Amino acid sequence: MKPHQHLIAAATLGLLPLAAQAAVSPDALVGPIAEYKLYVLDNLEQFVDHTEKFTAAVEAGDLHNAQALYAPTRVYYERIEPIAELFADLDASIDAREDDYEQGVKDPDFTGFHRIEYGLFHEHSTEDLNAYAERLMSDVNELDHRVQDLTFPPETVVGGAAALMEEVAATKVSGEEDRYSRTDLWDFQANIDGAREIFTLFKPLAAQEDADFVKRVDDNFDDVETTLATYRVDADDPDAGFESYDEVNKNDRRALAGPVTVLAEDLSTLRGLLGLN
Amino acid sequence: MTHSAPSSTPISRTTPSPRLLRAGLASSFLLMLIALGVFALSLQAVQPPRAEGFIVNVTAGGCQPEQLEVPAGQRTFTIVNRSDRAIEWEIIDGVMVLAERENIAPGLRQPLTASLTPGDYIMTCGLLSNPRGTLHVAPNGDTSQPKALVARDFIGPLAEYRVYTLLQLRQLTSQVRALHDAIYADDLHTARAAYLEARRIDQRLATPIGLFSDLDQRMNAHADYFAQRESDPDFGGFPRVALSLFERGTTTDLKPTIDRLVEDVETLKTRLEDAAIPPAQLANGSARVLQAWHDRQVSQATLSPRDLFDLAGLTEGAGKIVSLLAPLLERQAPGTLPPLNDDLATLQQDLANANADNTSGSDDSRGNDASGGPLARVESDDGIDAKRLLQDSEALAKSLSAINRALALSG
Repeated sequence: MKPHQHLIAAATLGLLPLAAQAAVSPDALVGPIAEYKLYVLDNLEQFVDHTEKFTAAVEAGDLHNAQALYAPTRVYYERIEPIAELFADLDASIDAREDDYEQGVKDPDFTGFHRIEYGLFHEHSTEDLNAYAERLMSDVNELDHRVQDLTFPPETVVGGAAALMEEVAATKVSGEEDRYSRTDLWDFQANIDGAREIFTLFKPLAAQEDADFVKRVDDNFDDVETTLATYRVDADDPDAGFESYDEVNKNDRRALAGPVTVLAEDLSTLRGLLGLN
Repeated sequence: MTHSAPSSTPISRTTPSPRLLRAGLASSFLLMLIALGVFALSLQAVQPPRAEGFIVNVTAGGCQPEQLEVPAGQRTFTIVNRSDRAIEWEIIDGVMVLAERENIAPGLRQPLTASLTPGDYIMTCGLLSNPRGTLHVAPNGDTSQPKALVARDFIGPLAEYRVYTLLQLRQLTSQVRALHDAIYADDLHTARAAYLEARRIDQRLATPIGLFSDLDQRMNAHADYFAQRESDPDFGGFPRVALSLFERGTTTDLKPTIDRLVEDVETLKTRLEDAAIPPAQLANGSARVLQAWHDRQVSQATLSPRDLFDLAGLTEGAGKIVSLLAPLLERQAPGTLPPLNDDLATLQQDLANANADNTSGSDDSRGNDASGGPLARVESDDGIDAKRLLQDSEALAKSLSAINRALALSG
């Protein structure tokens, strides 16, 4: 081919994928993805701050305070999980459950929140937790450091809404996340906050493509949050948190599972809707 | 993290006795081992791609096969959960998860498609305590040109650049505010320190600010560009502030200038909040601002410390852009990346050296800034050998301006 033919061929090839994509222009995704990173950075700042207080309480041997700070500290991680779990090593050392290890609680590699949870809520003691607290603090600082420099993959951000709801549906409704502290509803709400943030950022673009979809998702989010709200300790004070998951009756667990599953399915189409498949 | 469910077996009346269960489990395990053995034997070094792609069995003890080799490109894996609990399967690049399939229930199979470039990856295999598998991605021998970049490839880098810009702007706003307050308080020393902080950020943002010629002119144009030079009524912004603070040693007469600068930074913020920066402007813009710095300095034998300080800010801004475009360059034109990185590293190193030289020679003129911070360096009058930095800045400008061709970007 002559040079100009190369050029024409290259130009045609370059345009084809554009033509095949959804009506949403890739440029339109830049703003919401940047906004999402700012949301994650804000939450990380809070996460570092709360982890400092939580680990200080553990290290000071203040069982009561450490127990009280466990759930309110975790929420910041649970909100930004689509990004946080991109770092496989830190996700394991910060948030793995005992089931992820062959020797369970006794496994020497089992660290992080759930190891500390076991000490605080099962052993009812801060004894021997110092090393875990120190490790958690340094892992959280390392996470903060890595996320600052991270270019967020657009697919991960948009797909993150569904990932969070799938996680709730698959492994949280069962109450296995915070099995000793029974603070599952805090995590639950945090996962929903994180998913809803993503959905809200892309909602104007999604609405251009499918207004019914947007309405359905919003309604389901509202349903879940309404059920969750009945378990708030103080309706006027979100910081007061939630009752123990043991208090959530079977009917309400079902009432949560239904819309959560539908949300996970609906939100899994968001990537395609925005031309990111 | 996504977790495997605990292995709670539902109890029902039809549950066989534990002994029977154990026997059944043992025999099925034996059968599985035999099947796996046959399967392993049938594996070639490179599995041929099939409709279901490459099969990975995850057992209670790890991945089968433990080592997998696939050709580069879009590849499909089918993960078969042969353990008794829900698992996830991930492809990990270093410590980053590249692709994952979560919550695969026992006995089920799930597909996962990932776009893979040549290299070595890790596979997670069920329990975190299980040994990890390795995935080797071989070059697929396809020597054709890499697929042309499309707008979608720039979403990530442009979003990250926007975050960088917005965060820098927050700092710029507060530093210009501090400069404003110091000028109004007639505090020369504080004003000088605030000027340097603000100016450093202004220079980091030279590329996006350069998108708006009116603002750029008001904030950054040197006196030479005005008919009446220093005494021109339109001469303002950072250069005008610097003239008073550093050449004339006074904060007087700066109030109108700093008021205008505060206003211009606000306008900049509003504009950048919804500005779409064209991808080609990233490399072109940073090449242009470095070249402009070079061209302005080229006639001088020595650089003033403030010129050096400006270059440090420009280099930081360029470094961010290089880090954003590097992954794309690596994909499209890998040969262009090492020289670009070298040029950047050389400039950074020579800047660090110049700063060190400059600080060590400026003991008498540090004034109140005894720490040897930026203010001490800028207040010193030592000349800096300009030659190296001129060469470095021009070399980086040239490499940057070659990026768009390598990425097949125009505009």
